[in-house]
Amino acid sequence: MGQITLSGISKNFGAVQVLEGIDLDIRKGELVVFVGPSGCGKSTLLRLIAGLDKPTGGTIAIDGRDVTPVPAADRGLAMVFQSYALYPHMSVRQNMAFGLENAHLPRPEIDARIAEASRMLEIAKLLDRRPGQLSGGQRQRVAIGRAIVRNPTAFLLDEPLSNLDAELRVSMRAELAALHQRLGTTMVYVTHDQVEAMTLADRIVVLRAGRIEQVDTPLALFNAPANVFVAGFIGAPNMNFIQGVVRGPVEGGVAVTAFDGRVVPVDAAAGALAPGDAVTLGVRPHHLRRVGPDEGLPVTVHLVEALGAETVVHGRTAEGQRILAVLAGQEPLASGDVIALAFERRQTHAFDKDGLRVAGN
Amino acid sequence: MAGVLGRAAGVLAAPVAWAAALVDRPMRAWQNATGTNGMAAVFLAPNMLIFGVFVLFPLVINIAYSMTGGTALFLPDRTFVGAAQYERLLSCADYTDPKTCEEDQFWIAVRNTGVFVVFQVALMTVVAVVTALILNREIRGRSFWRAVFFFPVLLSPVVVGLIWRWILQRDGLLNAALFQLGFTPHVWLTDRFWAFAAAIGVSIWAHVGFYALIVLAGLQAIPKDLYEAAEMDGTKPGRVFWRITLPLLMPNLLVVIVLALIRAVQIFDEVFVLTGGGPGTSTMFLTQYIYEVGFASLLKNPGLASAASILMGGVLVVLTLVQLAVARRNEAKGKRQ
Repeated sequence: MGQITLSGISKNFGAVQVLEGIDLDIRKGELVVFVGPSGCGKSTLLRLIAGLDKPTGGTIAIDGRDVTPVPAADRGLAMVFQSYALYPHMSVRQNMAFGLENAHLPRPEIDARIAEASRMLEIAKLLDRRPGQLSGGQRQRVAIGRAIVRNPTAFLLDEPLSNLDAELRVSMRAELAALHQRLGTTMVYVTHDQVEAMTLADRIVVLRAGRIEQVDTPLALFNAPANVFVAGFIGAPNMNFIQGVVRGPVEGGVAVTAFDGRVVPVDAAAGALAPGDAVTLGVRPHHLRRVGPDEGLPVTVHLVEALGAETVVHGRTAEGQRILAVLAGQEPLASGDVIALAFERRQTHAFDKDGLRVAGN
Repeated sequence: MAGVLGRAAGVLAAPVAWAAALVDRPMRAWQNATGTNGMAAVFLAPNMLIFGVFVLFPLVINIAYSMTGGTALFLPDRTFVGAAQYERLLSCADYTDPKTCEEDQFWIAVRNTGVFVVFQVALMTVVAVVTALILNREIRGRSFWRAVFFFPVLLSPVVVGLIWRWILQRDGLLNAALFQLGFTPHVWLTDRFWAFAAAIGVSIWAHVGFYALIVLAGLQAIPKDLYEAAEMDGTKPGRVFWRITLPLLMPNLLVVIVLALIRAVQIFDEVFVLTGGGPGTSTMFLTQYIYEVGFASLLKNPGLASAASILMGGVLVVLTLVQLAVARRNEAKGKRQ
């Protein structure tokens, strides 16, 4: 169990519309990540599912039952808060038992569930400590433990890793993924960190300004972003965008004039683009490679970030277009050098004047 | 404009510079002679002087008075009696019955103060918490209501006493209202029970705004997340209050209780204006007893009044130490979290 269906959800705070026309079906056992920039409404959407806020319009169903009017406590969900929200005056054990005591579970059952969860999360030794005596990572585990003991139909996690340092975040991320596999319970996860989204999610929901931009698997989002926003948001560093004009058809696509008169062939569905249409080309920095001086686009290097395994090059074309390239290995480059970069036709995305994807594979 | 300001600043700074130049040489000489600690003594001296003249000296004089007898007011004219005043105050056949005590008025005042402290502090704490809980809600005109509850704190205690006497006296506002509504008026302030209740009620009315503010600060410091977590945990409102709000409010409540205790022991002005300690001695508290014995009665006894005030001071010192301990514990807790 644990299927969550959102239909036509909208939410206003006074005159401000935070969410609009959200339709989403979260399948049983799925780990769905809501991702988007600050203020896109992802946390609000999670709170609506939790029952902490009421939607202005639309319905929320869990396992087919309409829970829109049902209070948070009766939805069978458990939430992990960004701040952990552990009760500071209670021990770890009391924190975990609190919700179960509210539900009047028998004491042996409560103890058994706490024992099981604390074993799973390796917090058995911490049970008699208070949250103030725990490190950030330990508090995070306790917060997850408090959610697990309730045996919820789904877990709601609101930026659960954002208060941890980088190293701990990576290891907790892996543990969360393992935990999800083990429990098989539906999880809805909110983050603004797209790496977290890419590594954890079965499916990612990209939100912007209160609307869903695209819902798909991480790789599908990466390979076939529905629009310029998703293309720019998913993948790090960001995709390069280049303005161009359609010149005419070529086999399997169109030719686009960009980069000061250069002609770039891109794949496109027949009839999607007509000659003269304005178009935005998108190329990921990893898909640019260095070629011989006359074989590609000349780019003047402005900044080089040598990361060891790869080299990030910030540069500009002759016409002033910013280009970011990630070159494999170590490149002996310096500011002011001119290099030639090339990219594959099949890795070139094209978006029409409305920002929608029209071409590319 | 800048030139004018600069000149004004120069004019203002001149006397300061002049004074600094004047003390520069002696200060340097002092520092050379005594070192850094000596300088500290110089800077502390003005404050210590004020403290000495207005606090320490009267305290010592008070102790001296408490060991003298007679009705003379001037200390050199008084006879030394040692601990006789204390013995007189504390001599009792049965401490639960003031009538068996040599200085029965003192023990009546002690008993009244004790009963007053217990009920007033308990009620004050409850009312402060309830008020703060209401003021913490999203109610219409919240700032206005907060100001309304805080307003009596700004009033002089004498004004508080007068307002309430005006309401509660025989031909006062309350009786007029009762009469209009068809009830029998009651002489509130000459009824032992109601006069005592009025003393408690009025002192709560006058001070609850201050304590509610302390509780309100505590309420607002409780993260909203905790309440949402409790909501997700399916916690009923009553249980949220007892298991989350109240425990997290405890540091603030302790401060409220100790401050209210200290203040309740000292209760005097508003009740004195309201009831004058009556009817009989039913609302006579310790401070009033000291005032009456030392200044107001026909046979003034400064020695006895001083001894009583020293005893009361002892109780207040204990309560203040408790308050400091509580504050320190809260601070340590704050650091740990």
